[in-house]
Amino acid sequence: MAEQVKENTVTLTIDGVEVAVPQGTLVVDAAKIAGQDIPVFCYHPKMEPVGMCRMCLVDIGYPVKDRNTGEAVLNEDGTPKIQFGRTLVTGCTQVVSEGMVVVGYSEKVQQARKDVLEFFLTSHPLDCPICDKGGECPLQNLTLAYGPGESRFNYDEKKKNLKHVPLGDLIFLDRERCIHCARCTRFQEEIVDDPVIGFYNRGRSLEITTWSEPGFDSYWSGNTTDICPVGALTTADFRFGARPWEMLEVASICRECPVGCNLTLNTRREAKSGGKMVVKRVMPRQNEQVNELWICDKGRFGYHYASADDRLTTPLIRKEGEFIPASWDEALSLAAEKMQAAGSRLVSVAGGQLSNEDYFHIGQLTEHLGGKAVLYSNMMGGDLTTKVGMGPGSNLADLGAGDAILVVASDLEEEAPLYWLRVKQAAERGATLIVANPRATKTDRYAAHIIRYEYGQEAAAILALSLDRIGDSDLADESFKQAAKAFAEAENAVVFFGSEGTGMAQSDALSKACANLLIATGHTGRPNNGLVGVWDKGNVQGGWDMGLQPSATLFDDLKAAKAAYVVGADLAGDNPAYKQALAQAEFVVVQELHHTATMELADVVLPAQSFMEREGTLTSGERRVQRYYPAVPPAGESKADFAITAEIAAMAGKELESVSAGLVFLGIVGKFKDYADLDYQALAEVSEQWPIIGREDLYYGGTGYANHQGLGVLLGTAAGRGEPVLIDGFDLPDTGVDGLLAVPVTRLYDQGNNLRYAAVMFPRIASSYVSLNPADAAGLGESVVVELNGFQVEVALKLDENVPQGIVVVPRSFGLPISAPTPVVVKN
Amino acid sequence: MNALQHKYAKDIEKVLAKYPADRKQSAVMPLLYIAQRDGGYVTKQDLVEIGEILDMSTTEVASIVGFYTLYHDQPAGTYRIQVCTDLSCALRGADEFLENLCENVGIKVGETTEDGLVTIEAVMCLAGCDKAPMFQVQSPEGIEYHENQTVESTLALIESWKQEKED
Ligand code: SF4
Ligand code: SF4
Ligand code: FES
Ligand code: FES
Repeated sequence: MAEQVKENTVTLTIDGVEVAVPQGTLVVDAAKIAGQDIPVFCYHPKMEPVGMCRMCLVDIGYPVKDRNTGEAVLNEDGTPKIQFGRTLVTGCTQVVSEGMVVVGYSEKVQQARKDVLEFFLTSHPLDCPICDKGGECPLQNLTLAYGPGESRFNYDEKKKNLKHVPLGDLIFLDRERCIHCARCTRFQEEIVDDPVIGFYNRGRSLEITTWSEPGFDSYWSGNTTDICPVGALTTADFRFGARPWEMLEVASICRECPVGCNLTLNTRREAKSGGKMVVKRVMPRQNEQVNELWICDKGRFGYHYASADDRLTTPLIRKEGEFIPASWDEALSLAAEKMQAAGSRLVSVAGGQLSNEDYFHIGQLTEHLGGKAVLYSNMMGGDLTTKVGMGPGSNLADLGAGDAILVVASDLEEEAPLYWLRVKQAAERGATLIVANPRATKTDRYAAHIIRYEYGQEAAAILALSLDRIGDSDLADESFKQAAKAFAEAENAVVFFGSEGTGMAQSDALSKACANLLIATGHTGRPNNGLVGVWDKGNVQGGWDMGLQPSATLFDDLKAAKAAYVVGADLAGDNPAYKQALAQAEFVVVQELHHTATMELADVVLPAQSFMEREGTLTSGERRVQRYYPAVPPAGESKADFAITAEIAAMAGKELESVSAGLVFLGIVGKFKDYADLDYQALAEVSEQWPIIGREDLYYGGTGYANHQGLGVLLGTAAGRGEPVLIDGFDLPDTGVDGLLAVPVTRLYDQGNNLRYAAVMFPRIASSYVSLNPADAAGLGESVVVELNGFQVEVALKLDENVPQGIVVVPRSFGLPISAPTPVVVKN
Repeated sequence: MNALQHKYAKDIEKVLAKYPADRKQSAVMPLLYIAQRDGGYVTKQDLVEIGEILDMSTTEVASIVGFYTLYHDQPAGTYRIQVCTDLSCALRGADEFLENLCENVGIKVGETTEDGLVTIEAVMCLAGCDKAPMFQVQSPEGIEYHENQTVESTLALIESWKQEKED
């Protein structure tokens, strides 16, 4: 006994297989570890057991002890004597104990499984041939294994129910198929704290309903369809789209936000698409260090842009105002000639969702030509995360009691849903969560301390959190002091900084203040400590790592440009000021997937491949480098961004790898110290994860995919290597304005160019709006004119008590000219 | 302040005072009871407003209404006669009682009389098994048991409600 306590493990036998598991493990989980599947329906390894479905019944025996001596009683053959209980037990609610014997393959247990299934089937339609889950459905499999060939129950009394109940616009419910396991409702409540679906009625009348407005409209809703054990929940996007067994799985990475969720793209050939290979659905791929088993709906449903009908398929050259299709040679040589001629007046602008390989090449080519390469982002600090970021060995899942997390200037669920989830979970495990933001957000619910600074004061607030400066701040009430103390004394501490209300100047000051705080409190250079940028686009960190940086003078750079090379960025669509600037540039080369407002201004258009059509790597906010793979053939003549850049480079006298992304990566490895130990093989390595998913019962963890194609690698940091880290001084930005101040914020369902191609997402993108505190809205109607940076735009007005007085909240990428806090006039 | 808070300010305050502020969700059942008291059922708007008061989603509030049989989401008669038809009562003639009662009142189980006074419902065991036929009456005055009933005694009861209403 003493030994077990020391090692905290318990040894038990499951159907003859001996297994040692940590204390506190549930019998069903122990069985998984032992490689024995106990069927479950309601149990999910990420949620508290509820014992609702009874599918996991097993026979459990315990070693008999002599009452007087406490010694184990032995059988004649010397084996320990085992006493079985009178009834079967649900393995999902039973915790293991030393010497326990679990039996699943006895006649008694098999009979119990048959009986439980028979009950399920009294009212289940068994319409597997037309069910989306058919082929990956545990009820179907278990029915095959245990189900009676014929029902003993009266068919006429079978419950008939509605089969196409829209719970919202995204998720449909088939009431007949639902087996009332509560996985979906528990997911929404326990895991993502958005309980907008629930049970109604009871007994045979029990049903899943939503009473919320606007229904089941959650950023997380798609996950419920993965974990629903039957075909009761389906997505509007995929339902009736394909049979699971027809589809192939290809590993990919989401680039909609800096989390870098691991994805599986399910592809299949399709007559509807002319026999082409197409992506039918996007599913989470397990990476317990990144997204666990989940993805947000933006990542799941937003992919359609990559296969949209209006994809650019040939190069285009503008002749007499019209775009004329051209050969690659023609287009490339024209682009190369103009870019070369521009010399130092070449400006290359790289969007935030390109791959590391693309950035590397854009940087190399621009440097070769003597131009300026700009990363299209409004955030600063991507160099600081390379110094004091979270290093190798980090995993947000390790943070808990004794640790601290600071989230500053971010509505985290909007900016990076999975970071929000992981931070929430850390707080629930006991980590001290400090949320510093000018207005209330959902993250506040889990915060131990909430700091409300004024827009523009983010850096000052963080500076004041350093204990030695706390006295200077007028924010320093008791809770603030406690927050500062908790952060300083935490065993491990992580800072997430976002872009709520910041422009480049504010972001620069904020990121430095955050890095300073981490250094001052000794939270650098160790796993699970450091700075995470909640970047405004998915691979902004990769851009920084490849040597690109945002430019505070981008407007002027573009105006003065002799040639602008815009790759994967819709400057003109995002902000009318950029549109004006680009119109003044002498020659514009645009490398894009589809028709954009920026492309309208181009002289040469080069069609690029989408992420589904090529391979490459991305670097997440935590600086995990991850690989994605080609899933479908390229649209028309499109080429990978890095390849196009390489071909321009070749014409301009610079050799760059133009075929293999893996070879480009070797160049990266050779040039950047942090990437020095990496190669494509290392990024593709996997190790066993918990929970184990994808075994026989198919859906212990849902229908998300097991990861065979790579968990990625966390990059080292300067602090981790013991290099001295110095943070430059910085000025606190001046924010004093008379009158209203407009501040940019991020919305998950933004406009941009991605979501509008997803039929199910499109209605969820709000049209252009600004939000005001009701106190500032006197006399204003529902539609207002906003005067901003010399532009007048008409938008809808939303009233929101969470917006501080004097502030106009302006969502980014909605066509309003804002990239930093700016004085504004709002009128009717 | 929403409509419920306006209408029942004192009652709601009293209920909320019983629970610590960070556990105010516990007040959901008494608040639903208040909301249902006058109209005999909980409206969708009530669900929304109770959710607002208690920081719960409308759906969470609704699932309580769905689970408990004494909360109703549909309007019915002022008096709900809830006849137990479970096994023990059935053995003492509850089924027959219910059928005859309905016939005499002129409505089917689950229906309401035209004057909006009476609804007849069949329910599960009310723990009055040895005194069947029996039912409970749910009305704005609360809940009341009536045991060892006959159709005549029940009709007389309904008659007394009618009188009351007319006076
Ligand atoms: S819809 Fe699916 S997940 Fe939800 S309770 Fe029914 S069977 Fe379970
Ligand atoms: S959380 Fe971010 S990375 Fe993950 S699926 Fe959503 S947008 Fe993509
Ligand atoms: S009762 Fe154990 S899995 Fe449902
Ligand atoms: S069976 Fe009717 S009261 Fe118990």
